[in-house]
Amino acid sequence: MQLFFEQLLNGIAMGSIYALVTLGLALVYGILRILHVAHAGVYTVGAYIGLFFFQLTGSLIIAALGSMVFCAMLGVAIERFVYYPLLKYPPYVPLIGSIAVMLAIEELCRLIAGPHILTFAAKLPFPEIQLGGITISSTLMAVYCITAGVLAFLWYITSFTELGLAMRATSQDIPIADAMGINSHLIVSITFVLGSAIAAIAGILVGIYYNQVYPTMGAVPAYKTLALIVVGGLGSVPGAVIAAMLLGVAETLLIGYANIPLPRDALAFIAMIGVLMWRSEGLLGSR
Amino acid sequence: MSQALLDIQELSKYFGGLKALDQVGFNVMGGEILGLIGPNGAGKTVCFNLISGVYRPTAGKIYFNGQRMDGTSPHQVAHKGVGRTFQIVKPFGTLSVVENVLVAKGITKYNRFSRIWSTWKSKAEINEALEMLERVGLKDLADRQAGLLPLGNLRRLEIARALLVGHKLLLLDESFSGLRHEEIVQLEELIRSIRETGITVLLIEHNMRVAMGLCDRLVVLDHGSKIAEGRPQEIQQNEKVIEAYLGRKEASDAA
Amino acid sequence: MSAYLITIATLIAIYAIVVCGLNVIVGFAGQISLGHAAFFGIGAYSAALLATKGGLSFWTALPCVIAVSAFIGLLLGLPSLRVKADFLAITTIGINFIVEALFLYVPFFGGALGIGGIPRVMFFGIKLKGLAFFYLCLFFLVVVILICWWFRRSWAGLACFALREEESAAASMGISPVRFKLLAFVIGTGMAGLGGALYAHYIRFIAATDFAFPVSILFLSMVVLGGMGTLWGPVLGALILGALPEIFRPLVDYRFLFYMVLLLIMIRFQPGGLLGERSAVRRVLASIIPGAHQ
Repeated sequence: MQLFFEQLLNGIAMGSIYALVTLGLALVYGILRILHVAHAGVYTVGAYIGLFFFQLTGSLIIAALGSMVFCAMLGVAIERFVYYPLLKYPPYVPLIGSIAVMLAIEELCRLIAGPHILTFAAKLPFPEIQLGGITISSTLMAVYCITAGVLAFLWYITSFTELGLAMRATSQDIPIADAMGINSHLIVSITFVLGSAIAAIAGILVGIYYNQVYPTMGAVPAYKTLALIVVGGLGSVPGAVIAAMLLGVAETLLIGYANIPLPRDALAFIAMIGVLMWRSEGLLGSR
Repeated sequence: MSQALLDIQELSKYFGGLKALDQVGFNVMGGEILGLIGPNGAGKTVCFNLISGVYRPTAGKIYFNGQRMDGTSPHQVAHKGVGRTFQIVKPFGTLSVVENVLVAKGITKYNRFSRIWSTWKSKAEINEALEMLERVGLKDLADRQAGLLPLGNLRRLEIARALLVGHKLLLLDESFSGLRHEEIVQLEELIRSIRETGITVLLIEHNMRVAMGLCDRLVVLDHGSKIAEGRPQEIQQNEKVIEAYLGRKEASDAA
Repeated sequence: MSAYLITIATLIAIYAIVVCGLNVIVGFAGQISLGHAAFFGIGAYSAALLATKGGLSFWTALPCVIAVSAFIGLLLGLPSLRVKADFLAITTIGINFIVEALFLYVPFFGGALGIGGIPRVMFFGIKLKGLAFFYLCLFFLVVVILICWWFRRSWAGLACFALREEESAAASMGISPVRFKLLAFVIGTGMAGLGGALYAHYIRFIAATDFAFPVSILFLSMVVLGGMGTLWGPVLGALILGALPEIFRPLVDYRFLFYMVLLLIMIRFQPGGLLGERSAVRRVLASIIPGAHQ
């Protein structure tokens, strides 16, 4: 039973990290209807830049801030130079562009930082908790708290601020939002800033959680998160978060107990095809 | 009275709580031009989409030539001899004008697996397609890319395509909207000549003068319900219709 | 020709066959597929299994291989009828990951070791290798191009073009979206199966990673680079992206980055591909050869 709870806690942590990466993807899909595969590249860059600043200064706060700023700029650059000019084409055109950016970022990371795995030995300033014989490590606590904080912040932004209102208007219909006096291009850029900064946090968390940073760390999340936003209902942020949590827990428990022959990476897609057969609009999707 | 070509009985379509069409019934007689008119949001295009199989009705029946047709998918409706145009024109953008027409000519092939392998690039097929383009006045533009044509030409291209499919019934969805005066006159001529060849026409029209002048009978929809049906002169004097078009308030103010 | 050049040329010919198939699905019918390598793999694995475990010759196995690939293509094409374009893109990625996982984890498919010892193709008692095998691939490539050429001229092809451009208008002209999309999937995946069979008998040792998702991206890049929906685009794309790694061998380490930047520039400035409508190459060709717009 204790093992089960430990697995469950790990699963929730896994799900939290998936959720942080998937958030950006769901936000971008919601507003531009683009499958932003390169988002996982931003996440990889986030981990590297975070590690770089951490080694330089020894401060996690500076590492996180530096990484978030850099990733936000990277995200906006991708939006301005790749997606925006391609919006008028059928959706597979920006998708192919996005995949190319993703793979180019992986290659750049490999060429600059080297192909080997770097360690990210940082101690996160969170307390360790003992609960009836189960220890929740400070890293796990950090993952939980930061994820909860990010989700609460995002929920506040989208629900209670004028920015959130403008974001929702833009995601409904860009020309109409423009007609209402919203600078939709600015809103799109802000969406990329938010999503990319969150991806930077996710990258650093994963780097510390596994104590590993490597060029292809974004490869699996890149495609798995696509499955997650489909399961959640394309463009639905809460749906994506729920799907991410479910997948994290399901993966950890299935690998830990059932010993299924399929690798965990295929699991997300099997779940996705199952959900699509059952509800073709996803868990929380409309239409 | 001869048997109706199209017999629509208590047709309803709800989208969630919205009653887009509510128990509407009317007949279209063989060889006539029937106009479907009404203010914006009256349910005209919904009615077209139900007839052409894009939507499945919530309730009601559609008989075509005495056979049930509701719930039939769009391509099967086409194979029964019903052609349609779209309110928002839908050309095959990267194909040429003549290729657009050829797609419609293929209707005799698409249902037979053995026939779809023959070629459409034959002299005979292309000449027939050009004849159709000549009829709608687009022959000179045959090799142009369809997506680059102005709206007036696209409306005529849509009619050319629909004519090849709808040898029994033609559904024209606001084919006059966005056209200049001369173009409207030409198109009226064309529709009359189509009727001469024995094809029945059901059209949605916003321009009242065009509808009155062209149609043998009119059916008026408002808020998803049929409020009047009759010859143009009768409709012109129908109080419900005047109310629907002018708005209840102004109508009572005027009285 | 040196053995080295023959190897490159043979692989390019095989890729061109597979990419022509992808072009039928993506370019002709407008259905995005990001999992084409899965069908290439299904072709290769069924050919390998029929040859090693079934003891069949390449020629007797080939119709079965193509049929199996096309049939699985038909099954997996079914989601395309239910889902919108974005879902389809992700679904096909999923298919690729699942098929790769099956090859890797099911012992019947050789697991992580893959399948080795695949015999060479025999032709009237002669073992085809080197140049002879290249000619065999070239023969099949010509057959595939002829099929594509005829498909573009056929009513079936015209129906697919119409569906690609405007599905609802096509349906109103009697074109069944289900039937013609599935037809494109069957033809396209059948060609991938053919390419897979040739690949298995050429490389003679196959493993799951040969058919992983990045390979699908490579195939799609070839179609995009050459020009989606054109007749020669896929061949040109396969030729360029197949030959580039060899030409840029000195770049070794920067090769893949260079690829991706190239693809990015291409998609950014010429999404129609090198041979697409209104492309620079097409304009130059048209100015040299009048009436070369086909």
